[in-house]
Amino acid sequence: MKAPDFSYFEAQNIEDAIKYKSEDDEAVILAGGQSLLPALNMRLSSPSCLIDISKINNLNEIKIEGDFINIGALATHSDVMNNDLINEKLPCLVDILKMVAHAAIRNKGTHGGSIAYGDPAAELPAFAVAMDAEIVLSGLSGQRIVDAKDFYLGLFETDLKSDEILTAIRYPFLSHNQHLIFDEVCRRHGDYAMAGLMAKVELDQSKINNLDLVYFATGDKPNVAQNTAKLVIDDGYDYEKLKKSLASEIDFAGDLNSSSEMKLHLATILINKILNKLER
Amino acid sequence: MSAKNSVNISFSVNGENFDDVTVPTRQHLADYLRSQGLTGTHLGCEQGACGACTIEMDGKAVRSCLILASQANGSSITTVEGFDDEVMEKVKNNFLKHNAFQCGFCSPGMLMTTKEIISSKKKLSRDEIRAEISGNYCRCTGYQSIVDAIEESINEIN
Amino acid sequence: MDDIKVNQNPKLGSMDRPNSYIGRSLPRENAKKHLEGGGQFVDDLVLPRMLHVAFLRSPFAHAEIKSINVEEAKTSPGVFDVYTAKEIDEYCKPWVGTLGHLGEMRSPEQTPLAEKIVRWQGEPIAVVIANNRAQAEDALELIDVDWEEKDAQVDMETALDDNAVVIHPELGNNLFWTRTVNQGDVNQAFKASHAVVETTLDFARHTGVTLESRGIVADWNKAEGKITIYHNGQAPHMMQHIIAKHLEVNEGLVRIVSRDVGGSFGIKVHVYPDEMAVAAISKKLGRPIKFIADRLESFTTDIHARCHKISGKLGVDKEGKILAMEINDLSGIGPFSMYPRTSAIETNQVLNLSGAPYIIPNYKAVGTVVFQNKTPMCQYRAVGHPIAVAITEALVDKAATKIGINLHEIRKKNFIPDNAYPNKTPSGVPLEDLSHQASMDKLLDMMNIDDIEKQKESNLAKGVLTGYGVIAMCEVTNPSPLFYGVGGAHISSQDGASIRLEGSGAIHLSSSITEQGQGTEAIMKQIAADQLGVSMDSVRVTLGDTDATPYGGGTWASRGAGIGGEAVLKAARTLKENILDIAAAIMQTDKNSLDVENNTVIRKNGGEGITLQQLAETVYYRGHELPKGTNPELLATASFLIEGIPFVFTNSAMGCKISIDQDTGIVKIDKFWAVEDCGTQINPKLVEEQIKGGVIQGIGGALFEECVYDDQGNMQNATMADYLVPMAYEMPDIIVDHVTTNSGRSIIGAKGAGEAGTGGAPAVIMNAINNALNQLGKEVVSQPITPEKILKALGKI
Repeated sequence: MKAPDFSYFEAQNIEDAIKYKSEDDEAVILAGGQSLLPALNMRLSSPSCLIDISKINNLNEIKIEGDFINIGALATHSDVMNNDLINEKLPCLVDILKMVAHAAIRNKGTHGGSIAYGDPAAELPAFAVAMDAEIVLSGLSGQRIVDAKDFYLGLFETDLKSDEILTAIRYPFLSHNQHLIFDEVCRRHGDYAMAGLMAKVELDQSKINNLDLVYFATGDKPNVAQNTAKLVIDDGYDYEKLKKSLASEIDFAGDLNSSSEMKLHLATILINKILNKLER
Repeated sequence: MSAKNSVNISFSVNGENFDDVTVPTRQHLADYLRSQGLTGTHLGCEQGACGACTIEMDGKAVRSCLILASQANGSSITTVEGFDDEVMEKVKNNFLKHNAFQCGFCSPGMLMTTKEIISSKKKLSRDEIRAEISGNYCRCTGYQSIVDAIEESINEIN
Repeated sequence: MDDIKVNQNPKLGSMDRPNSYIGRSLPRENAKKHLEGGGQFVDDLVLPRMLHVAFLRSPFAHAEIKSINVEEAKTSPGVFDVYTAKEIDEYCKPWVGTLGHLGEMRSPEQTPLAEKIVRWQGEPIAVVIANNRAQAEDALELIDVDWEEKDAQVDMETALDDNAVVIHPELGNNLFWTRTVNQGDVNQAFKASHAVVETTLDFARHTGVTLESRGIVADWNKAEGKITIYHNGQAPHMMQHIIAKHLEVNEGLVRIVSRDVGGSFGIKVHVYPDEMAVAAISKKLGRPIKFIADRLESFTTDIHARCHKISGKLGVDKEGKILAMEINDLSGIGPFSMYPRTSAIETNQVLNLSGAPYIIPNYKAVGTVVFQNKTPMCQYRAVGHPIAVAITEALVDKAATKIGINLHEIRKKNFIPDNAYPNKTPSGVPLEDLSHQASMDKLLDMMNIDDIEKQKESNLAKGVLTGYGVIAMCEVTNPSPLFYGVGGAHISSQDGASIRLEGSGAIHLSSSITEQGQGTEAIMKQIAADQLGVSMDSVRVTLGDTDATPYGGGTWASRGAGIGGEAVLKAARTLKENILDIAAAIMQTDKNSLDVENNTVIRKNGGEGITLQQLAETVYYRGHELPKGTNPELLATASFLIEGIPFVFTNSAMGCKISIDQDTGIVKIDKFWAVEDCGTQINPKLVEEQIKGGVIQGIGGALFEECVYDDQGNMQNATMADYLVPMAYEMPDIIVDHVTTNSGRSIIGAKGAGEAGTGGAPAVIMNAINNALNQLGKEVVSQPITPEKILKALGKI
């Protein structure tokens, strides 16, 4: 399991990285490398060149920008978990990251890397969609902002163009009556989930005003369950009804650990788990 | 700017300087360290899933099979051969006391993860310890004696 | 675990002596190096002019190689050469994995590399030899193979059908081996039973996943005509014979060295075609050749195990006494039987061990083993026990439920009583020195079943399914020649120990048993130091080198303490006698007034003694000072083997309590208890660690592990992320206790303890899960018991 040969370019600034990437469509970006290197070691990928952007300054900053919390692409998962601003303004993200792999992976894996890679089983892409995040891309023609919900197109397929590099993700603040609640079901701690759910809930007293349900590990990208969310708002939790609704709006794809029927079932009970968490 | 298939880098390992050494671009850090005789860092999967290759880089535990040697430029690395502080002595004594290892293949990675647990200064329950080491595969011990050793280390040190 | 408080074996001497080490949980000082990065594993070895290999492996389960072109690969940077079967066959004779003592076994010859037909995904067909592994892998991509894919036989249940794909046409069908055991008359007994229960269980293929993968460095020294093989195998002398035989080299010119091994569990006791190819290449080139299996190839080439479908039937009388047991077991192996131990052993143990703790006067067992186009299968820790114990204990639980008595009550009614030995298993295998009654009593004390029953009830009201199980089992340990040798295998059941006092006063011990982390070196030291009367740190041990140790069997089937330990004991005692003979002569006194304590020959009645160093110095350097006729032999060798019975058995009782999340299907193991009777424990802590590690490994098979295949015979989950091994978070703490019934077959009285955990855990977990599901009238019958299977059983999906 030794990687195939490739050349290596250590970018000193984002412009050089963009230029290099646009000139070689077999080049790939190396940030944390926690998804790229396993693929290389298993020879699932044979890029011509790795463009290492991990040494570029100022791409890992976490700060407030207007109405958003801006997380620089190179912020590692550990950086994010230990960040005071995140712990204060977006503590749900800290809880989510505790479910991502293990400490040694989180010490290197980057926020931007996970968002850009778009593993359908990963938490962060679904989180970004649920949070109505904005994805900041930098390319030859400058900066471009894409809504997270428009970013994920298919299996490992995103709206990232061949000359673009993801440089930041902006999360709108949650208002005092908005909550991001999540839960997932996995075989072993740190594994990819069999099914997971990010729910953005807006409450009016104890009534749910607004609800966004975004599933992960259920299909080829984050799955938004719009109709089902409406049913939950209107009628609360009803297993059979919600299961039927989910089946009609999401194309569940089975994998090694759970069949599509199981994912559908888990997706349904996850709504109950979320509602229980909400009560607490 | 140009890309190359080998790079010259400088870094330090266990306090020893590696100045301007040439590494193949595709070689991961674990293989590089092992090629220099630092064979305490082990390969179990080359996928980041087993934890056997865990080392400390710039103060943080990382999977050395998922880092290119080229990326170590300017870094300060500690491997299991380089534990010489009082804290790790106590940890190692507890591992010995509780027989928290059998074949020893997972031990370097397990000790690295333990070091990070101790450094966090948090007083963890047994369940929390289990969560922290859940990325280090051990086939021999069944984990219980490792949890015992880490629990005692936390109580002793923090 | 603490030291043993009560003297478990008076034959070994008082525990009040200063050098009493047997029965003490001493830390393994010799193993400290593993915490310093000082292990010496095969991949750590670098030799001058060493080359590395990578194998091209079949991507198909069954195919023909129409043509293979390696010319372009040979030109790849860093490549020394590329071989196919043609070159390797010249240097290595083929082998057959059959033995003569188990009835008819049919398996064709196997060569290191496939010649024309490949029969499992992963089978090696070509090998690149290069300066490093990365360059070797680059060249693999340049080998051009024209494949003709064939239909594959991947379902063991259809392997004997008329339209099955016959893997070896010359054999006519896919039957490898079959055996029937028939004791008494089961049909009659079932007719006479008050209640008859049945079940069919299936167990998925899974594999060992040793953290250190298989590895070998073969170094043929042309000048000496000698080959040294650094190997992370368990049985160096067995390998020595096999290398000599198949490479056609004088056995005395084959040296096998096994240093540190990163876990083996039986995976590394077999002969692998890729490793044989490496030895052949080294002989051909006269250079050291290294092969380390990477994780991906480990999943498809390490032996697999435990794929069984077994139906069972149990008949009991009104009181719950078992009248009859019948099982029918089907197992699918690979396309070849593994060499040299054969792939029949796992099924044979299922037939031999089902029902083992109980008196069952009528017993019938049929085992059928068929070929498949899948990874070869063979012995893996607790060989066959998980299946034998699971089917037995599942049937016993069903019988208990049917006639309305407690789970432990029915077992106690049927145990072979502790005072009724020697006795036999239902299949007719001799049993001695077991304690099922005492062990179960101890387990029940630990578990507090009444409490658990109350919890079950109250939890059910809250919608939580709780269940518990109690099981009993026998574990095969300390095998005699009747296991392999009798069938023609050059696998030694006799082990030796050699011990000497050196000029410095130090003690050197060598043993034919090997170390893979279980603590072989530590316990041998404890036995030697204890019986000799010296400090632990004055003993150093050599293991794992056919040039430097006595001849023997190595480590497998939990034989180290009971067989190797006895040899060490005998050698140490002989050396002590020699020392006392010489001391008596030097000190001009009666031998019986002397003893050895703390490295000194002491006078029992007080007065000046002499240190062992002084005695050794006299013998070695100033022999002229010795009285005439003194026999100055500061060296002793002894050996030991089990005679007259096939195995020494250990027994175990286990219990667990689990809860099931009805929404997710996830099982949580709340508590796990194990009572083990392995006779004398040399180091109680190390015994406890074997049980705990073994249980976790068994839980892996019960809940997580399986090799998933598609219908083309491709393994789907052959990576560390997809194949689910037990990791720390999901595993329970285990409470261990003991009963001690020494084996009467040796002075040391130790039996093996390495495999009971793995053998019993799957059964007790499954029973506990069914105990929980039965509350809703449901059950599971298939391992691993995944969340999906639980949800299906509950009717949720």
